[in-house]
Amino acid sequence: MAVASDSRVASRALMRIEGAGRVFRMGEVEVPALVDADMSINAGEFVVILGPSGSGKSTLLNLIGGTDRATCGHVWHGDSDLAGMSDGELTEYRRTVVGFVFQFYNLIPTLTAYENVQVATELVANALNPTEALAMVGLGERADHFPAQLSGGEQQRVAIARALAKRPALLLADEPTGALDLPMARNVLAILQRSNREQGLTIVLITHNPAIAGIADRVIRLVSGRVAEKRVNEKPLAAADVAW
Amino acid sequence: MRALHRKLIRDLLGSAGTLVSVIAIIAIGTGSFIGLGSAQRILEASQQAYYRDYRFADFWVDVKKAPLSAVERIAEYPEISALHSRVVFDVILDLEGEVRPLTGRLISTPDQGFDHTINGICLVRGSGFSDDRNEEVILSEAFAAAHGLNIGERITLILNRKRQSFVIVGTAVSPEYVYMVRGVGDLVPDAEHFGILYVKDRYARDVLDFKDSCNQIVGRVARGGQVDVDTLLDRISRDLAPYGVIETTPRKRQASHRFLSDEITGLGVSATIMPAIFLGVAALILNILMLRLAQRQRTNIGTLKALGYSDRRLMAHFLGFGVVVGVLGGVAGMGLGVGLAYAMIGVYRTFFQFPEFLTRAQPDLLLIGMVISVVFAVFGAARGVREVLRLQPAEAMRQKPPERGGTIVLERLPWFWRMLGFRTQMAMRSVFRNRTRSVTAIVATALATAITFMALAMYDSFLYLVDYQFDMVAHSDVDIGMRDEASMPALYESRALPGVDEAEPVLGVRCDLQHGAQSRRMTVTGLSTEHRLTTPRDASGEAIQIPDEGLVLSRKLAELLDARVGDVIELTPVRGRRETRNVHVASIVKSFLGIDCYADLHYLSRIVGESLAVNSIQLAVDPVQSAALFREIKELPNAQGLSVRADAKHNIEKTLVETSVFSIGLMVIFAGVISFGSTLNNALVEIGDRIREISTLRVLGYRPGQVAGILFRQSAVTFLVGLLLAFPLGYGMVKLVAAAYDSELYRMPVIIRPVTVVLTAVLAVGFLLVAQWIVYRQIAKLDWRAGVQVKE
Ligand SMILES: Nc1ncnc2c1ncn2[C@@H]1O[C@H](COP(=O)(O)OP(=O)(O)OP(=O)(O)O)[C@@H](O)[C@H]1O
Ligand SMILES: [Mg+2]
Repeated sequence: MAVASDSRVASRALMRIEGAGRVFRMGEVEVPALVDADMSINAGEFVVILGPSGSGKSTLLNLIGGTDRATCGHVWHGDSDLAGMSDGELTEYRRTVVGFVFQFYNLIPTLTAYENVQVATELVANALNPTEALAMVGLGERADHFPAQLSGGEQQRVAIARALAKRPALLLADEPTGALDLPMARNVLAILQRSNREQGLTIVLITHNPAIAGIADRVIRLVSGRVAEKRVNEKPLAAADVAW
Repeated sequence: MRALHRKLIRDLLGSAGTLVSVIAIIAIGTGSFIGLGSAQRILEASQQAYYRDYRFADFWVDVKKAPLSAVERIAEYPEISALHSRVVFDVILDLEGEVRPLTGRLISTPDQGFDHTINGICLVRGSGFSDDRNEEVILSEAFAAAHGLNIGERITLILNRKRQSFVIVGTAVSPEYVYMVRGVGDLVPDAEHFGILYVKDRYARDVLDFKDSCNQIVGRVARGGQVDVDTLLDRISRDLAPYGVIETTPRKRQASHRFLSDEITGLGVSATIMPAIFLGVAALILNILMLRLAQRQRTNIGTLKALGYSDRRLMAHFLGFGVVVGVLGGVAGMGLGVGLAYAMIGVYRTFFQFPEFLTRAQPDLLLIGMVISVVFAVFGAARGVREVLRLQPAEAMRQKPPERGGTIVLERLPWFWRMLGFRTQMAMRSVFRNRTRSVTAIVATALATAITFMALAMYDSFLYLVDYQFDMVAHSDVDIGMRDEASMPALYESRALPGVDEAEPVLGVRCDLQHGAQSRRMTVTGLSTEHRLTTPRDASGEAIQIPDEGLVLSRKLAELLDARVGDVIELTPVRGRRETRNVHVASIVKSFLGIDCYADLHYLSRIVGESLAVNSIQLAVDPVQSAALFREIKELPNAQGLSVRADAKHNIEKTLVETSVFSIGLMVIFAGVISFGSTLNNALVEIGDRIREISTLRVLGYRPGQVAGILFRQSAVTFLVGLLLAFPLGYGMVKLVAAAYDSELYRMPVIIRPVTVVLTAVLAVGFLLVAQWIVYRQIAKLDWRAGVQVKE
């Protein structure tokens, strides 16, 4: 049974992580940020990775997104192992498969909201129009503003627009609501949920806030770099119902 | 437009201050390369065209008097393609309104087609000789201009003991006198006191008793065939020996040619070394700047990589920075270079008499300048970006850990460290942690200051040279050259001239000096036993007494002959019976102009095999009576040349001051831009790096001056180290330049006055302070409220 269910999961899996670990070396000290992680992420799924600060969430997300390399183990995308890819292949993977929403927004300060989205859309063939993408996050009016002229929440939404505009297969969002108040957080989560439900976008969202885990199809909990728990939400919450 | 291009432009505009300083530094490197290179090319091309079009001679042969028949025999030599005979005499010129008698060099010239003879002359004004009269003269243009002489006016020459009035029918220049000096002993042209007088050939021969004969032969050798001019001249000397060969001069030893060619060669050396120094510093600074610009973009680069931008594309994007900086630097350098070339040619116009300077643009130099500029800039940018691109995007998006954290050397001396105060501590940490940046700042300060120092020290050297030659060695006020050798009575006559306090006889004899394989033909100067008006000095600067026997050589001559004190030299006078004598070297003296050989007058007369003779007289005179003295000298039948020490000294000083102001000014400005630019640039990079820290200090209540003080301390540390290095470095440069200019024509004394050291330091501190003032303004202007909110 276990084998059968595993293979059933595997057949639907977009990403499969097997025994992946990441150790940071700083001179004499070794920091094992992620240890022996096993999990899979299925196409169309909304996965939340939950854990306290420093538990290795961002580290895991970087391995999935191809922005960092595992020190051991495998990160499968379909049949290809990110661990074995060349830098060029990893770039190609990030360009065509992944959309990133960073913990610290990472907008280019010298570009307007529109241009920040454009930076991403220029990379791929069938991207959304930047105006459209900004409209999706409710920032159509602010297209000409520079990041410094936007609030933290608005910057976060520009970052989401930038990620969505590429029409990625996999959206990775690192604490997208970390700096936001509840109404704004609901707003951002709703945008993500809509993309997941309506376009079937696979989403991996990181948070340290257990309240947000409610909207996930599946929750993976990290503690000190290890997977402590995987649980399925039979009835995911609507974004509007999230509360803390 | 692509979003990335927009980013490029905005980033460039955002760091405009830094870029301007870097572009200025690159511009100086490429500008000096283009400017010096172009000036050199223009000078060389002008020389070549002039020599070709006006048939500059390959050799000169001076004889006492040779019949034209003998000259015709020499013209038959297959190696010789053209030969021209003429009469050349130095004469005294009496200009109306000019108290002083002036020296003129009379050269007999064909009435017609004088622009087609060897050493053809090129008319600048006037129409040349007419058939109307014999007494017509074409003057060298510089002389005519210096005295405001015009066509149709008259001048008086003392010719063969008679005063003769000539009508000026033209002014001209000639390839023989591009650099208008009497001979190799002169340092700078003296257009006011020396002029060339071209007179009709037939007439000159008639009045000077040279009918069907000549005293100078000039010739050109057949091109193509490899003619050894020295061998040819040996042969001609032998053939003309019966007619008294005084001197043979191959082109390579002709005075004007040597000065001009030396300048072209020297310029070629400067055109390599100066730009290399400037470009080297520029490359270093640019490298740091580009590295920092790239590092400051670390998060952006990481983000773009995470979005899926390839390393190649990002590299191309950041190389855009380099290209823009390089192109702007190149364009500025081109402008500067062309301006510099024009300015230099302007200076050369006062030194070198050309019919025209072939001032052409040098497209290849411009192109090379541009390429150098772009390559340097792109290389700097590439190095910076490569470092960031090597990182995984996740790593790049994190803040950079501080460079080499931990304690610095000074902290190991706790008692000292604690004394410093926290702002000095911050400055020190920054100096020690950003090693490359600090080292670059030190190198830039050291090089720039060393160049300033060298430029100023060279001025000292020249002033000392003039002082030494014209005050310490020569003491006579007026020297009179005699046409025919006079005997002692001439001396007693001259003592009776008005205002003469002292008179000393001098005998100059052309001799061949041979020591082993080395030989030199030159004038041996015989000084009277009690010589007080010429006092050669030894290496330590002590005046020496010419011994009764033996020769006194100047250091350069001793070097050329490979002779030491006590060595025996074979001396053969180039006249009379030409008997070779063995004479010993009695001592060696210091001299900076030409090459000198002294002997006792009696001793020299004896070995030449003549009774006591004199061919020039040195006078010490009472300045009050100089007008009367000059009047009498003009009437002296035997005088053929005259030099007034004060005039010569004044002329050299004036010329040196004029050119020095240009070249020293230029070098100081260039060095200033480099040191100023480097300091400013470093400080601006520092501000950019530490904007948060600076803003935080401002929030805490520190005044802009106090914050700028931290950066000032930092600059001051690297500045002081650079300054200390600058002096030995500059001294080395002076030594190097002195070695490079060590030639038979002149040597540069290495003299450094304390005031030069002070002035150099003051200038350097000035550049530092101006840069610091801008830094202060920047910090005062800084939007520190936004600064604390900056997210990296
Ligand atoms: N580049 C790095 N060098 C050294 N240590 C690192 C590096 N990146 C992460 N770590 C360490 O690895 C551990 C996990 O870090 P990670 O950023 O994955 O945590 P996180 O779960 O995302 O925390 P947070 O919620 O605070 O963002 C931490 O202890 C962190 O200090
Ligand atoms: Mg994190």
